[in-house]
Amino acid sequence: MRKLHWVGTITLAVLVASSSLALQGQAQPATPTSATPKPAQPAKAGATTQPAKPAATSLGVTTDKITVPLRFDHYYTYEQVGEALRALHATYPQLTTIDVVGKSEEGRDIWAMTVNNPKTGAALDKPGVYVDGNIHGNEIQAGEVCLSLLNRLLTTYGQNEQMTKAVDRNAFYVIPSVNVDGRYHFFSDPNDPSSNRSFRIPKDDDHDGLIDEDPADDLDGDGNICTMRRKDPFGQYKTDPEDPRLMVRIKPGEKGEWTILGEEGIDNDGDGRVNEDGEGYVDGNRNWGINWAPPYVQAGSGDYPFEASGLRAIAKYLVDRPNIIVVFAFHNNGGMYLRGPSTKAEEPMNPADIGVYDIMGKNAEKIVPGYRYLVSWKDLYPTYGDFTDFTYNTVGAYSFVGELFVTETESYRPPPKPGAPAAPPPADVMDMMGGNNDRERERLKFNDYVTQGDLYRPWKAFKHPQFGEIEIGGWVKMSSRLPHPFMLTDLVHRNASAVLFAAAQTPSVTLDVLAPERVDADLYKVRVRVVNAGSIPSFTYNAIQRKIHPQDTLVVSGAGVKVIAGGKVSGMPIETVAYKPYRPEVQFLQVPGNGKIEFEFLVSGKGELTVAYQSLKAGKATKTVALQ
Amino acid sequence: MSITSSRGSLLAVLSIAVIGAGVVIKAQKPVPPATPSAATKAAVAFVRYHSPQEANAALITINKANPAATALHRIATSPGGIDLTVLEIGPDVGKKIRKRPAVFVVANMEGVLPLSAEAALSLADRVLADASATKSLTWFILPNGNPDAATCYFRKPLIADERNASKWNDDMDDQVDEDGPDDLDGNGLITQMRVKDPAGEWMSVEGEPRLMRKADPAKGEKGVYKLYSEGIDNDGDGEYNEDGPGGTNIGITFPHLFHPWTATGGRWPGSEPETFGIMKFAIDHPEIAMTFAFGATNMCLQPPAGGRQGSFDATAIKIPEQMASRFGADPGRTYTMKEVVELIRPLAPPGFEITEGIVASFLGLGAVVNPMDEDLKFYKELSDKYKEFLKAGKLDGKRLEPPQPKDGSFELWSYYQLGVPTFTMDLWTLPEVKSDDKEKTGMTPESLEAMTSDAFVALGETKIAAFLKEVGAPDSIKPAMLLEGVKSGKMTPKQMAGMLGQMPKRKDTAGADPKQKALLAFSDKDLQGKGYVNWTPYKHPTLGDVELGGMVPFADTTPPALMVKTLLDGQVPWVLTLAEKLPRLSILKSEVRPKGAGIYAVTLWVENAGYLPFPTAMGKKNLHVPPAVVTLATKDNLKGVTFLSGRTRTTINAIDGGRSVKLEWLVQVPAGVGFEVVLDSANAGADAKFVSLAGGQGGAK
Repeated sequence: MRKLHWVGTITLAVLVASSSLALQGQAQPATPTSATPKPAQPAKAGATTQPAKPAATSLGVTTDKITVPLRFDHYYTYEQVGEALRALHATYPQLTTIDVVGKSEEGRDIWAMTVNNPKTGAALDKPGVYVDGNIHGNEIQAGEVCLSLLNRLLTTYGQNEQMTKAVDRNAFYVIPSVNVDGRYHFFSDPNDPSSNRSFRIPKDDDHDGLIDEDPADDLDGDGNICTMRRKDPFGQYKTDPEDPRLMVRIKPGEKGEWTILGEEGIDNDGDGRVNEDGEGYVDGNRNWGINWAPPYVQAGSGDYPFEASGLRAIAKYLVDRPNIIVVFAFHNNGGMYLRGPSTKAEEPMNPADIGVYDIMGKNAEKIVPGYRYLVSWKDLYPTYGDFTDFTYNTVGAYSFVGELFVTETESYRPPPKPGAPAAPPPADVMDMMGGNNDRERERLKFNDYVTQGDLYRPWKAFKHPQFGEIEIGGWVKMSSRLPHPFMLTDLVHRNASAVLFAAAQTPSVTLDVLAPERVDADLYKVRVRVVNAGSIPSFTYNAIQRKIHPQDTLVVSGAGVKVIAGGKVSGMPIETVAYKPYRPEVQFLQVPGNGKIEFEFLVSGKGELTVAYQSLKAGKATKTVALQ
Repeated sequence: MSITSSRGSLLAVLSIAVIGAGVVIKAQKPVPPATPSAATKAAVAFVRYHSPQEANAALITINKANPAATALHRIATSPGGIDLTVLEIGPDVGKKIRKRPAVFVVANMEGVLPLSAEAALSLADRVLADASATKSLTWFILPNGNPDAATCYFRKPLIADERNASKWNDDMDDQVDEDGPDDLDGNGLITQMRVKDPAGEWMSVEGEPRLMRKADPAKGEKGVYKLYSEGIDNDGDGEYNEDGPGGTNIGITFPHLFHPWTATGGRWPGSEPETFGIMKFAIDHPEIAMTFAFGATNMCLQPPAGGRQGSFDATAIKIPEQMASRFGADPGRTYTMKEVVELIRPLAPPGFEITEGIVASFLGLGAVVNPMDEDLKFYKELSDKYKEFLKAGKLDGKRLEPPQPKDGSFELWSYYQLGVPTFTMDLWTLPEVKSDDKEKTGMTPESLEAMTSDAFVALGETKIAAFLKEVGAPDSIKPAMLLEGVKSGKMTPKQMAGMLGQMPKRKDTAGADPKQKALLAFSDKDLQGKGYVNWTPYKHPTLGDVELGGMVPFADTTPPALMVKTLLDGQVPWVLTLAEKLPRLSILKSEVRPKGAGIYAVTLWVENAGYLPFPTAMGKKNLHVPPAVVTLATKDNLKGVTFLSGRTRTTINAIDGGRSVKLEWLVQVPAGVGFEVVLDSANAGADAKFVSLAGGQGGAK
């Protein structure tokens, strides 16, 4: 059920948006025929062969010691993510801190690494860039993108000018694996590319009063959950004439050859269904306290917002770091940079903020080939309780979901004819539905000739306790949604670059106090200009509109001075000052991206005058002038 | 905060305010758990209100006196440091899985209704005193869901503030909680300030100058006053009392129809420990079969309101244009859920099941926001019964209508997301003021004019008095005086009508807020005027000449302590009556038909002997309530048993109140074997029965 729900959603999304999401269509539970001789004993009694050791089948896993600089030609297990963070911290102790944000349902630590140069200021006084990944346990390469970002920032600090500036100017908060239990189990347990997405909060997915009682089973013990098929003259499929590993739907009048039985597994609870209630299902990206909806509205919501303890801990982590102004949450797959809103009901998004999003989103499309910058609810599908909606609307951060990996890059095709478009043709909806096998044939050739067979298990006979003689085969766990390790280095670097581009756009605010103009005895006109050299404003327009957090302040003070009046300067070409009727010495403001805002104060007295700018997200600045 | 004045009429705080003594706890020796009631008959005496700390102390007392029959669950600690303590009463205390259904009772989620916390304590007493109440039920009772706010009533100055003690920058300036109200006149009450202001929107009510109403420019009226809550502009920003201490109103923080970005709703649904603890407790206890909230609303009287826009409607689904073309659908028309599923099914990958859930999720159809029709049926029937109950207890006097549940409230969350019957009780509102209905006596000045003297005398003093009141005659004109005049022939009704026409009419109170009017009447009649502070001049540091006055906090929601016992005795027992209506599942009967060759057709009827459905219609929709399960077993683990149809484990998703469902199996069984049939459910009871296959009919239980 778990997977059924989300694959279903993705499937519909594909139908609608014709997006290039890699779809593994093997998630369908099948019903044993009535001829099934015996019902299985309930609750895993029929669990078959032992799962194989992960090292044997987990493609791209290394047993090498993790060292700095980090390598990205392999994947990091949960433990290795920890090793990598500790190795980075040991190498760059001045620039990094490791926090345990919280613990998972199974008691694993959720780590965050902060990169900040304390010599240039406290982290909270700098624009914060928060990056996480792997909120879905199977979407592991998101963790490698996070590690790659950390590795790039730290290993080239002091050598690469841009990276040095980023570390000095920003605070980076990085949680490589949010769903740590999911990451652990994805590596250690038999899985398909889409399983182990859930948080480990047991739920009764099929509403039968039992919890997580019928997961998929690794029948052949190869560490992968593949697909089951059975010879069946009345089936709806026949062998693909071009590649016998594939099947095609029969046309009217044709004789069938195969019935597809769904994912590898048995009917553990004897209810006549196979694999209908696996682990969870609580989807980490449906459980946030924003526009949350209960599970009957959307599978995987959890019974209440922040039911997942790790998410609750991360929410506190975020709220405690109000300087965060940019958020990236990495997932797989499809090659997308998504911005909110995640439901139609939340439209319209503040148009000024859309302009800011566009700066980063449109660049991300160019930084990572084949990726598209899209709107979450409209171009993909609606989600309630969505993380980036939370960070945009509660933390006040420009927030993206990065959907990593485009399966079209698994190519085996002739060079484009002169004049023809170089890019692969967009995936056809029917490809995804299994009705047209062109893409699958190409992917199999990619498997055969580019990965030397790493990604696909040929069909093999198996005696199934309920279905009888069947065959098991198909794409392995470390395929389909994950790049082959040889492609990983490119993927992590390009996507980390999208984050670095955004970090470079964060507000960079400076303060100018123009020479005080004496207008009377002991009365001065003081002009203050606040300039933002970043293209992101000092905080979101949404935060103003919805009063999410306090605005920036500009405070004028001095021992021997009194602020008589003060206000914002506006109006071109003739300037006017909108004097603030109360507390003129405290002004509230937002500094626009690549822009400025000016204030004018009438100050009486003599002596030193201090002008202090303070922002939750854009740091602080102080200038002092003498009135004389 | 500064209090700048010591003058003013130092009105005594209402008699309802705290008197000071600690909880009245009868010294009792612990008694055996078999008869817990005697020990705790009155952990508190309902002669005054009890602070949340006192209520917690009372729960500890109860628990100490009844260690076997009760347990305490500390489900959260408020930001102000007060525990949210749930008292468990029932036979499943200490068990990990509670077999008996439970009723979860919360109180004072709003924080400003001390009467509701008293009701929860009173209920605890009643449950402990009534052995039948816990025979087949567990009770979870939380007297204070919003304890920080609940302390307001026991502090000075008195102010009804629903927020907990978390910090929140209400005005999003550079300071937090810097400008709350101030008791300027030192009377221990936060009331209102009225200030003459050319931009004022308010004016006095003509017939009752103590009351204020908004001027109606359409009628040529001009406002005289601006109204503020009592206080100064502590932070000098031109606003008064715009950022007082406190953060979140727990009563609006649950995730059904939660509104983000409000001043008092919190950062997200469940952002506060109180709300989170309550949600977690309710979800972690699937045995909860009913919830009950003592508070501001009354779902015993008023079925949940419908008519809300945007509710999920499975019979009229619109398919957005960009999707419609893919599905071959018409974006201009509506479809039923079934039709949408049929449209999409052919497009799905092989063997892939398109469910209604997938469609609902993908189309973003959203949550149910109106009560289900089937549920309104039992709400209506029980409401009628409750009205009879109130009538019998003489508590059916006309009073102000309680409000409907608020968005984000506990009770809406419970009904819509827990999917269990949810009731609430407000216990008291102000008595309704008799309306100024002119048609009551049926008389008008015109009919008086046409009346004979004899007919006028025949009216009698009472009716004449009512008529005088209706026409707004001054108090100086007494009915006896008029009767005497007519009897003696000194005046005719016609003359009288003319005279009345010339008299200055007593002004009516049109336009005044009905609640304020009711409060004023109640205050004058029952509180010796202490429910309302008359407007008194005051020299305000920034506003200049103002007047302080208005409603005394809590006077509109919290009756004098002397009334409490009567109110509780007359209403709280209804909770026990409702609990008797819970669904009760049992095995009604079985039937066995031998088919030959060791094959039998087994039929079993499972009954819901309770009044309420299992589960509610909303519970059917949201699938939150686990199904009941019937399991067939034999002594030797089903050895030799073959199920030709049916399975060992059969789920039952729903049985309406007073109905039964039929389950059937076709089994091949070795000779002499019978079935142990077990019925189990999370929150509707359990049963077991041995079904012998030898005799045809089922044996005894």
